[in-house]
Amino acid sequence: MNTNRPFDCRQLQPLALTRRDMLKSVSAGFGYLAFAGLSAQAAPTYQSPSLPKAPHFPARAKRVIFLAMQGGPSHLDTFDYKPKLTADAGKAGDKGRLVAPVAVFKQRGQSGLWISDAFPQVAQHADELCLLRGMHTDIPNHPQAFVQLHTGSARFVRPSLGAWTLYGLGTENQNLPGYMTIAAPIALGGAQNYGSAFLPASYQGTRMDAPPSTGPVVRKSNKTDTGTNQGIGNIRNTHLSADAQRAQLDLVQSMNRDLLATAGANPEVEGIIESYELAFRMQTEAPKVLDLSKESAATLNAYGIGQGSTDNFGKQCLMARRLAEAGVRFIEVCHQGWDHHSGLKGRIASSCAAVDQPIAALLADLKQRDLLKDTLVIWGGEFGRTPGNGSADGRGHNAKGYSMWLAGGGVKPGLSYGATDDHGGKAVEDKTHVHDLHAIVLHLLGLDHEKLTYRYAGRDFRLTDVYGQVPKAILA
Amino acid sequence: MPLHRAGLFAARAVLLAAVAVAGAADKPTEKISPDQLAFFEKKIRPVLVTKCYQCHSAEAEKVKGGLLLDTREGIRMGGATGHAVEPRDLKGSLLIAAIRGEKKDQLMPPKEKLPPEVIADFEKWVLMGAPDPRDGKRTMVSSQQSAEAKWAFQPVKPVAVPQPKDSQWSASDVDRFVLKKLEEKQLKPVGDADPATLLRRLYFDLIGLPPTPEQVQTFVKDCGVPSPHSAFRTPHSALEKVVDQLLASSHFGERWGRHWLDVARYAESTGKERNFAYPEAWRYRDYVIASFNADKPYDRFLREQVAGDLLPAKDAAQRNELLIATGFLALGPKGLNERSRDQFIMDTVDEQIDVTTRAALGLTVSCARCHDHKFDPIPQRDYYAVAGIFKSTETHFGVGGGEKGKNRQPSTHVPLVKTYSPAPVATTPATSVAAESPVAKKLTPEMEAKLKKFAEKNSKAALRLKSMNETEKVAAYERFFGTGDAASAKPARPAKKAAKYPETPAAPKTLGEPNGQLAMAVLDGKPADCPIYIRGELEEKGPVIPRGFATVVGATGPAKIAPGQSGRLELADWLTAPENPLTARVMANRVWQHLFGEGIVSTPDNFGATGERPTHPELLDFLANRLVANGWSVKQLIREVVLSRTYRLSSATDAKSFAADPENNFLWRSNQRRLDAEAIRDGILAASGQLDLKAPVGSPMSTLGDTDLSRGARSVLKADARHRSVYLPIIRDMLPEALDLFDFAEPSLVVAAREVTTVPSQALYMLNSQFVYENAVAMAKRFQGTSADPKERIQAAYLTALSRPATAAEVARAEGYLKTHAAERGGSPETALTTFCQALFASAEFRYIK
Repeated sequence: MNTNRPFDCRQLQPLALTRRDMLKSVSAGFGYLAFAGLSAQAAPTYQSPSLPKAPHFPARAKRVIFLAMQGGPSHLDTFDYKPKLTADAGKAGDKGRLVAPVAVFKQRGQSGLWISDAFPQVAQHADELCLLRGMHTDIPNHPQAFVQLHTGSARFVRPSLGAWTLYGLGTENQNLPGYMTIAAPIALGGAQNYGSAFLPASYQGTRMDAPPSTGPVVRKSNKTDTGTNQGIGNIRNTHLSADAQRAQLDLVQSMNRDLLATAGANPEVEGIIESYELAFRMQTEAPKVLDLSKESAATLNAYGIGQGSTDNFGKQCLMARRLAEAGVRFIEVCHQGWDHHSGLKGRIASSCAAVDQPIAALLADLKQRDLLKDTLVIWGGEFGRTPGNGSADGRGHNAKGYSMWLAGGGVKPGLSYGATDDHGGKAVEDKTHVHDLHAIVLHLLGLDHEKLTYRYAGRDFRLTDVYGQVPKAILA
Repeated sequence: MPLHRAGLFAARAVLLAAVAVAGAADKPTEKISPDQLAFFEKKIRPVLVTKCYQCHSAEAEKVKGGLLLDTREGIRMGGATGHAVEPRDLKGSLLIAAIRGEKKDQLMPPKEKLPPEVIADFEKWVLMGAPDPRDGKRTMVSSQQSAEAKWAFQPVKPVAVPQPKDSQWSASDVDRFVLKKLEEKQLKPVGDADPATLLRRLYFDLIGLPPTPEQVQTFVKDCGVPSPHSAFRTPHSALEKVVDQLLASSHFGERWGRHWLDVARYAESTGKERNFAYPEAWRYRDYVIASFNADKPYDRFLREQVAGDLLPAKDAAQRNELLIATGFLALGPKGLNERSRDQFIMDTVDEQIDVTTRAALGLTVSCARCHDHKFDPIPQRDYYAVAGIFKSTETHFGVGGGEKGKNRQPSTHVPLVKTYSPAPVATTPATSVAAESPVAKKLTPEMEAKLKKFAEKNSKAALRLKSMNETEKVAAYERFFGTGDAASAKPARPAKKAAKYPETPAAPKTLGEPNGQLAMAVLDGKPADCPIYIRGELEEKGPVIPRGFATVVGATGPAKIAPGQSGRLELADWLTAPENPLTARVMANRVWQHLFGEGIVSTPDNFGATGERPTHPELLDFLANRLVANGWSVKQLIREVVLSRTYRLSSATDAKSFAADPENNFLWRSNQRRLDAEAIRDGILAASGQLDLKAPVGSPMSTLGDTDLSRGARSVLKADARHRSVYLPIIRDMLPEALDLFDFAEPSLVVAAREVTTVPSQALYMLNSQFVYENAVAMAKRFQGTSADPKERIQAAYLTALSRPATAAEVARAEGYLKTHAAERGGSPETALTTFCQALFASAEFRYIK
């Protein structure tokens, strides 16, 4: 039997579509009515929901890498320069005595952006960064804010930013999931943060565990059958050789083609046939993409892999680059532990040290591969910290003002946009809400956040609900 | 219990092209003196027409702020921010503030201040009582949204069964509706499905399991060879026999109960940011399954879920059943990390309104939480009329304060009873709101004063303080001023803990002796009407709305609620009143949907203006009438539908029909449908002989205490369960893989129709998962020793997995595969057969109903 015979869809009988198939296979903007007039011969065949779709307008970014800093990293000690906070340290503030920044700020690069010594290596890329210094969100509580950062709503279960992105654009590499999230917290909303809610399930993120602490290789065994849908589940067959599995799959596919050939078959059967071929290729492709062992020692070193505290996040960042390169649309990596209520000086230093080199390496690597121009990198957490906390050595949760930054993907580099008040407690100028951030991300991807809608329970929903502004000033 | 049904429904007509507003509708005309009339016509109306109607009338292209000034009702009711005109109350009349331009950016008409004398006229008019002759109904829905868009709000009328030209084809009245439509569209139904195909369809549709090879063979034999004298491929008697068997099977409830559990967003954990277990949720699951098995009248089923705790019970067992039924209202997702008790309560209320209205009425009333419904005639008032009912209800979802108070909103279960002693008529509301539980630490007047002083400088804190109970206030005090303050006795450390982490309230009293078991349930709390929260914000209260129901569905005026009660009983009555135009239609449509793959209304939880129109409106009404006439028997309705000729059609295609109706809207054939996740998993277990058909007792979740489910819950999911899928633990955001991959209903949302997606992860599951592999091994073992002839083994496997014999070509292909696998690839005959069985599971045919 010819094992790789391409499947020829021209041999098919005219296919029928159910109403829902029809709606599903129709990409945005091409109305269902247009289909109604088509004859049986011209009826569209199955289309995978993850195929690339045209954006609303030319995109500046083709993919997203979201570096999620869970816990609420302090903007005051990293990216938001507040000399007055240093000057007024010890005085009474809104929430207890003001605490001076624990790292020294300097102007960096041509742009002269003020970035602290906590991020010495990222600071070298200052001229690539677009700092959003007027960020704010609704609720200064980790779980709600983390969920809102990912879905726009803490109150209702809503699709995640990545799911909306896939819904809007599909993905480029059909041999890999289009939305992958590494080391996402199990708590704090868990799967909701990469879920698809009312969007079709195919748009939900695929979660992978944090890379193991030793060795550069990601996953050797097929430990995925935990009963939950974690990781790229079931990526390996532990019982059959590749040849034997191909023979088995050929049997399955010939049965499927028989079914498809019967008059009146559901066109989705064609999708099933396709999905098996994709799955088969994914079995080889995904482990390859995630296998860091083929990277040079220089690269591994650059990312800080095998070097103590940078090892874990270094691997995540390198995996992110490899996934980006392979055509994955939306990638999220996560570093936890930014909730610095006490021990500020030491903990800022150690948290920053764990991510600084990996992030800098990622930016350099993307740039060197000419990927940064159309990859949007997002850095930030669910909120920032307060200027004072009642303790000399920590900061509280601050939803009213904090910083995030963007790089690549069509943002204006070397820019500081928005500002907090003198002590960095509250965004006062060019404020950017989480809804605005979402609108910006979709905009850079070529999607109009007001037009990217999905009808559920009788209403057109969007990621930004009734909010969201795209500040033109930050666009390159 | 007095029903007041006549009062619930306007006798004249249920369809109100406009919205009848409680209160305003009660007094149709106001006495206006001729002088007042003249004043209005001369000074007021012209200004309204020329300056306001452009944005604030039914004729406006886009109505701004939900405010309509073109009727008395509209101008009194106001829009999103409150009453526009409150007679004799200048301060309470927002319209006056707006035309005066009292608030920056809120001048009306925008950018155009009216002349002072006109403003003075309006003030005078308000002070004289705002006499207004404009009697019409406030009409939110614009005139373009015709009656057609509101078809679902019209009463279900008796429908005459049509007489299609072909008088031979139909097997039942259902068919006459379908055939009539087909004839109108010049479409011809295809032939009947062959018996084996039909049987598999029936089994999966009615009990969610495949027929055994023996059952297939018996049925095929009963059907005999096609008779040249009858056009019917399947004799009615053979079909009837099987249908009645299946309807009587205990597996029926496991299938149809699960459909309801989708709508009821059933799950065994809170979901959201803190995911705590609901260890007693399974009782509700079992209640639903038992109700469908018992063919509990659907109206009764709804009444029990909305107001079971308020219904009379004949004994302890029934009392328990009724309490468990109200788990429907209790087991929604909960944001346990919410700090504000009031916000938490209103979110719970909102969730309860959403699930109740969408499940029973196919309407999204919760859109009106923040503003008048944009598309359906549901004003914000109606939302808060219903909200008052749920706000007067206590929800016992049974998650205590465990694990260092990660749960900020602890709750109790309701104890079940072994004896039942009904309370006197006016039940005393159960005690147990968190605020009333004993607090660990008292708030002294000094502390209170200090907090107040602090709040004076901080408006946000002031607002928050208002909604805090004593425990929370103590916690707030300690946060700001420390614990070592002299204002209170030296606080012990545990006391501080108790203050920071809310304590679980005491369980409510039971009506009878507790039996040691617990349930998620609701009970009546302190009855009170709810104010409108403007834009849904708790800080901005509008007028208090008397409890009642959605006016669009025919309710008029405030509900007549028994004193001391929440109004849920009356709500349940109203939902299930025969005059309610939606309830029966929505359920009849759900039945149709689960039997044909698509409802007559293809948006089964949206019968509003933005939903799809029915493809067969008369048939839908016919079915709704049948449902009610048969005492709301769901089994009877299903029976009637599956015995139709339409249900029996094959899925073959026809070029001409396909060209005319490619979507098969008019049912000229049967749709090929994918099995849902449960049926796929159960089908695999059935074929492998591993399925344990006994219902398990309880749920693995019942062993989990009050903790945030993280990795701990995985062991529950890993548990080697061979029971039917309906009994798998449903943890929000941690679904069992076998269900999650195949489009299981998202349990945090009301799901009336599941998605059908086809993605590679499903293929990987079939090819590589441990579950599928193990079942393939088990299935192969069943046939390994049965026959020396591999052909017979292949036949047996086909019959078992696909409920049909293999064709000669299929047998030959399979034989070739088995030989090659065993010989060339070094596998044994055993592994060859295993991989063959796995291929059958993986085949598309396995997961389709033809």
